[in-house]
Amino acid sequence: MARETKSGILKELRQLPRSYFIMAAFAAFGLALGLYRMVVGLGPTTNLSDSYPWGLWIIYDVFFIPFSAGAFMISAVTHIYDKEEYHVIARPVVLAGFLGYLFVVLVLLMDLGRWHRFYNVLIPWYWNPHSFMFEVSMCVTVYTGILIMEIAPTILERLNWEKPLRFLRIATVVIAGAGIVLSSLHQSSVGSLFLLMRHKLHALWWTPQLPLLFFTSAAFSGLSMAIFVAVVSFTAFGKRLKLDLLSDLAKIVFLMLGLYLALKVVDLAINGELGLVFSSGWLSFMFVAEVVVGVIAPMLIFGNRGMRESKSGLFQGSALVLLGLGLNRVNVALLGLRGPTGTAYFPHWIELVISLAAVVAGVLLFGLASRFLPIFQDVEDVEAERASSKGREKDIAWGHVPQA
Amino acid sequence: MNRRDFLKLSGAGAGSLFLGGAQTARAREVWDGKAMLYDATLCIGCRACQAACRREQGLPAETGEADLHDKPRELSASTRTLIKVAEVQQTGEWSFVKRQCMHCLHPACVSACPVGALQQTEDGAVVYRGERCIGCRYCQVACPFGIPKFEWDKSFPYIEKCDFCEDRLGEGLPPACADVCPTGAITFGDRDSLIAEARKRIEENPDKYVDHIYGEHELGGTSVLYLSSVPFEKLGLPDVGSEPVTELSEAIATYGTPGVALSVAGLLGGLYYWFSSHEHAEAEAAKSHEEEA
Repeated sequence: MARETKSGILKELRQLPRSYFIMAAFAAFGLALGLYRMVVGLGPTTNLSDSYPWGLWIIYDVFFIPFSAGAFMISAVTHIYDKEEYHVIARPVVLAGFLGYLFVVLVLLMDLGRWHRFYNVLIPWYWNPHSFMFEVSMCVTVYTGILIMEIAPTILERLNWEKPLRFLRIATVVIAGAGIVLSSLHQSSVGSLFLLMRHKLHALWWTPQLPLLFFTSAAFSGLSMAIFVAVVSFTAFGKRLKLDLLSDLAKIVFLMLGLYLALKVVDLAINGELGLVFSSGWLSFMFVAEVVVGVIAPMLIFGNRGMRESKSGLFQGSALVLLGLGLNRVNVALLGLRGPTGTAYFPHWIELVISLAAVVAGVLLFGLASRFLPIFQDVEDVEAERASSKGREKDIAWGHVPQA
Repeated sequence: MNRRDFLKLSGAGAGSLFLGGAQTARAREVWDGKAMLYDATLCIGCRACQAACRREQGLPAETGEADLHDKPRELSASTRTLIKVAEVQQTGEWSFVKRQCMHCLHPACVSACPVGALQQTEDGAVVYRGERCIGCRYCQVACPFGIPKFEWDKSFPYIEKCDFCEDRLGEGLPPACADVCPTGAITFGDRDSLIAEARKRIEENPDKYVDHIYGEHELGGTSVLYLSSVPFEKLGLPDVGSEPVTELSEAIATYGTPGVALSVAGLLGGLYYWFSSHEHAEAEAAKSHEEEA
């Protein structure tokens, strides 16, 4: 049996489309550059400086952390709101979230000047509980562990390891709950990182509400990522997808975007900073761009029933939310931070290639996992299976796969 | 409602209902640490302080443009203190200014560092313990004065910053720069008495000085104090107000974090309980329905 599986995998590997090999080559190139960077240091491989201590890699992390929130949002929705259809998209979304986190950790490690001492964060008598960098590092570490447990059943099913599988199924509610608590903490603490920069971060973005704004934007970005990943991956793998569940999610995104917009406007108004939206030169432009692209435009799309229920509308709306998220995180982590006059930062090509390679590697691993693991299922299969086994395996981690 | 009250109220919105009345761990009503007073009007720009700092800390000279020996333009990993010239273009006034770590009483870098590599000593010096550092550079981004610098060219770099000559303080000596200053522009002593001295100088020469001691209240107070004849902003010392930047962040970390964790966990538990009992009731109803049929 095991031998059969092995030769089957080899055979399937040989039959992979050429795009997989191109992606693998690019990812390997990125890995080589990453190793080079780790040997020679940040100076020769980045355009970071004392003027711009944080650059593209930090932006990568503050973008992909909320992007990966899709995992916790979906596991929250599936567990609290135990709807059959959600289980179909849960696996691909949690997989994407896990890969998102994995590369956040790797890029974070890449960004650490003294990466060889990363384990200092784990030494209890070094801990500084006042530091949100400490909180973020802790949460990323523990949450990656939780995602491994959420993803494990897929692999264990493939390997037919029943014992740990049974354990994980019993613990599933606790695991999902811990994941949701950790995510809430850590999405908001990414925003809290910038609380200290009251005099550096432009008033359009600095507010004591940063943790709340980051949490809210992570929630709707996570759901948008779920929609985006579901539409793109089900299309790419030629699987049939029921759109009505994604439309439900889009409706929630619409409401959350409205809440977020109201929070932003009211916050600026109370601080008497609404005028800054028009009077801050190109930063005004960046602020308006972020709000129009990432909040207002997707609200128009998701607020329209016809659009919300069409594949193209779902794709466009979720893509815009993610683009707007990117703009927001660039504004907060780079452009809105007061830099010295006369100098500018643009990433070194090695920074760009390593970031891009991390994304490509994520897509590649997602593709491979989808081919070799029971990630995608047809709606009918799931419904039939769940109907037949209802009660017996009610609490499968975040998906439900027919036992072949 | 003033801004401060709003900050507190809205901080509560961010999940930290206990923010009002929160105190930072390091907040001190009475500060008995050491301080340094730099009187820009007495400085002659001889840079003896710069040279003394290099010698004391074993930092290499920076050679740059036109083969001038040691003429750094900015603080860097090998220049912890620097005399700059500031010119006010409208009036033609000018002034020297000594830049270095301000040794804040509520240091943002200490609050920011995840591994406690930046620490505040009893004397008030803000010091760096390199063996703890992971190189995340949050201290650089968090510092309102842009003081911590990084050894960008090294494979395994450290942060570099003025440590107030911690070792010398331990021996009862003033920092090397204060010790070597030939004009008395840099003086070192107890913070209270230096503030009194600075106020006396302003009172005796009100026409000469800007009527403000920079660092007395800035960001909750700093251990490096400035007197100047030109506006402080021209010296590169920004108007940052008197509220410590660390207060809000530390209060949210201390009260918001457990607050968020507990409320989310409670909410989830409640929802789970409600849904499972709801489902149970549904299942019971379905069962009795089946039995009837």
